[in-house]
Amino acid sequence: MLFKKLFRLLVLGGAIIGAGTRCAGVGQSQKPDSQSGDSSPDGGMATAQDGGTSSSGGGGVIGW
Amino acid sequence: MKEAVRQIAGEAWAFRARVEREAANRFRRLSAAIPAFDPDSPVCGLLWRAASDEDRHAELCAELAASYGCAAAADPADVPIAPRTFGARDAILYEIVAACCITETESVATLATLLGERAEPRVRAVLREIARDEVVHGRMGWAHLSREAAARDVSFLSACIPTMLSGTVDEGLFSAEQTGPDELLRHGVLPPARKREIFVRTLEEVVLPGLERLGISAAPARAWIATRRA
Repeated sequence: MLFKKLFRLLVLGGAIIGAGTRCAGVGQSQKPDSQSGDSSPDGGMATAQDGGTSSSGGGGVIGW
Repeated sequence: MKEAVRQIAGEAWAFRARVEREAANRFRRLSAAIPAFDPDSPVCGLLWRAASDEDRHAELCAELAASYGCAAAADPADVPIAPRTFGARDAILYEIVAACCITETESVATLATLLGERAEPRVRAVLREIARDEVVHGRMGWAHLSREAAARDVSFLSACIPTMLSGTVDEGLFSAEQTGPDELLRHGVLPPARKREIFVRTLEEVVLPGLERLGISAAPARAWIATRRA
């Protein structure tokens, strides 16, 4: 029961929020941008120092 | 209260204070990055507000940790977690799925479980305040993912989910030897067996169906779970 409620609350509730305004990217390339030949392979986003959780293969976010 | 319980509870709340600080830093960075490709997104504002929520949660967790005789660590560094080969937009999506769709969703399930137990009044007050905000934090991840899924192919994330999961929990969680007293529940901490059960059920009944609904195969994630259950 808890989990069904969480699915509705979070997943479906989030989708409603996300649909609130049109995404500027609608109609753009259907390829993920890592495959679309962007000028910067990391976009300046994933270049940070390897500070423990980061790695070339990605990481996760530890929680409660 | 037994000394062992006091210590485990203090360390857990100190750890949570650090987790909340990390989330605050991450949400501020992501909030500033999304407008570059989705200026109309409602998620930017939600992330910005969520960062303030997380600062407040960190204070609450640190206060509880101190009450158990444990000091919270200093402000942690903000480290992006996406693979380095990813472009900016994919990196943001990766990080929001890991931080919100997985970790915040798991946090909501943990908090809901803890609130169903008989926690100490001061612990219960903190759990309740944090739970109210974490629902919004989980939703904003699903909101961002649903916007991206409507705009482009996000199926590439399927292969990334096991890596995200490995970074979300201590592998020791799946060790059969891990035990802990039920008394921990009164202090806002799930004993390991209960934590494992909640973690897996939240994945199987909330996170993975949510990803599949948005075009991301959960097969690699299900294999990750099966390996750890074996």
